[in-house]
Amino acid sequence: MDAVADAVADAVAARTLLLTGNEAVAWGARLARPQVCPVYPITPQTPVLEKLTEFQAQGVLDAEIITPESEHSVMSACIPASLAGARVFTATASQGLLLMHELLHYASGARVPIVMANVNRTVASPWAFWPDHTDSLAQRDTGWVQLYVESAQEALDSVLQAFRVAEQALLPVLVSLDAFYVSHAMEPVDVPSQTEVDAYLPPFAPPRRLDTASASSWGNVVSQDMFYRHRVALQEAMDGVPALLAQADGEWQRRFGRGWGVVERYRCEDADAVVVTMGSMCGTARVAVDALREAGEAVGLVKLRLFRPLPAAALRAALAGIRDVVVLDRNHSPGAGGILHQELRAALYGAPEAPRVHGLLAGVGGVNVPPQRIAAFARECRGTTPRPESVWVR
Amino acid sequence: MLEIVIQGRGGQGAQTAGALLAAAFFAGGRHVQSFASYGGARRGTPVSSFIRVDDAPVRVRCDIERADAILCFDATLLDGPLLATAHEHTLIVVNSGRGPEAFAQALPGRRVIPVDAIAISRRAGLGRIVNSALLGAFARALGDPPMATLERTIRERSPRLVEENVAACEAGCRAVDALCVARAA
Repeated sequence: MDAVADAVADAVAARTLLLTGNEAVAWGARLARPQVCPVYPITPQTPVLEKLTEFQAQGVLDAEIITPESEHSVMSACIPASLAGARVFTATASQGLLLMHELLHYASGARVPIVMANVNRTVASPWAFWPDHTDSLAQRDTGWVQLYVESAQEALDSVLQAFRVAEQALLPVLVSLDAFYVSHAMEPVDVPSQTEVDAYLPPFAPPRRLDTASASSWGNVVSQDMFYRHRVALQEAMDGVPALLAQADGEWQRRFGRGWGVVERYRCEDADAVVVTMGSMCGTARVAVDALREAGEAVGLVKLRLFRPLPAAALRAALAGIRDVVVLDRNHSPGAGGILHQELRAALYGAPEAPRVHGLLAGVGGVNVPPQRIAAFARECRGTTPRPESVWVR
Repeated sequence: MLEIVIQGRGGQGAQTAGALLAAAFFAGGRHVQSFASYGGARRGTPVSSFIRVDDAPVRVRCDIERADAILCFDATLLDGPLLATAHEHTLIVVNSGRGPEAFAQALPGRRVIPVDAIAISRRAGLGRIVNSALLGAFARALGDPPMATLERTIRERSPRLVEENVAACEAGCRAVDALCVARAA
């Protein structure tokens, strides 16, 4: 009997592998067929690089893997490689992302469609390795598209969707996954075939590229007018991203039978309160919402997958008619509070019958947030007038 | 959903055991989520590995605060913080040469199954590497995953000393059987 069950399971497992979030990211990158991967290791992102180099050694990843001396140099290598027309992938975390900060602005200005995975980890000091979104949210003004994923499966799928969006919008994309709960959590992941992915993601064919055969350059000094017009064009490109992501995700769903949306509404029908959060906490919030619904309480979840550009119109639509919005921020901007809390209030300001927005600093520094706590937060918020500032909870 | 905590010390193989156990449940057609502490872990310091097993995809992403079963690699770690994750029905399998009576006395009301995994591993030619022996014992006590599936997983994933690891797993399983027989008698 066991032998039969095992054989059946084997047949299923032919395409369903047991992978960590980091391994799923590496699989996504491999299937995207990047040509250049400059990389620098940092906990908890290092397994992504280990897997990429393993794929390269096996001969299944035909990419040039460059190992510069810092993350700053990694991004400095990514930008010209992408400008020359190569598909470029890299990955980092926390301090590494912060060290890249200057070049992140440079990359979006250069309109290079680099895809980078970031494992969300606390920012020093003090030193720690826990999940916290402050590292990537601190890059919100750098002109990178930002996606936050909930699971290893979504991480793999999002790397591939990110390449499609990046190359259409000519913008770099950051795919962020939580340290520990996603990066190091091993779970079943459906790995699409190379043929299926090739049909979804055609080779990178930029409208123009740096080529020694036809001399051109990028990065020259420009006038005020040229700079101004460049920023207008960058904003227009960003404005187009929610629709491009919806298309990329819709096409993915059509081909692979699963999609992740731009803003996902989970059990929001007739809800009077809704939890809004990003990343791995969404999974825990689903369990909390199910428990509240079972208890007859009309609470839902809005998962924000796309943080930059902030899909304000989609958020206003998703939260229309909701009385209480409970924002769970696993990040901290000292002196301001929760970053999603600020962003969401700005997006809802002036909307007709805007919901009451409760900002909760929950899970900062990787503090554990179980479903029962999320359910309790939702219950407490429904009975309280929201304060203008974010509130510390645990 | 079944929630499991494996507690060991850095270098004992607790993380590998967690990955092996998750792989065995997965090979049996179950949905799993397995993660382990990292980063600050060093040889000799406490290291935890967490596994969730369910028939549906596991969505929850937080620590395991109440474990249904605990596998403890070092009896000195079977103290306050670890026991706080246990409830009265939690199955606890611990690596120890002491008998079940000693634990019944020290931890009244707890379901503790001691297994002398060091002795088993030494006999199997594995020295102090106890994870296969403990996994065999743990799976037997838990009743899942099936021993054939666990052995196959160990066979597939052991980097070396494959037969020794399989033998240790089987011996761990038999050690639990012997305890049950003794208890019944």
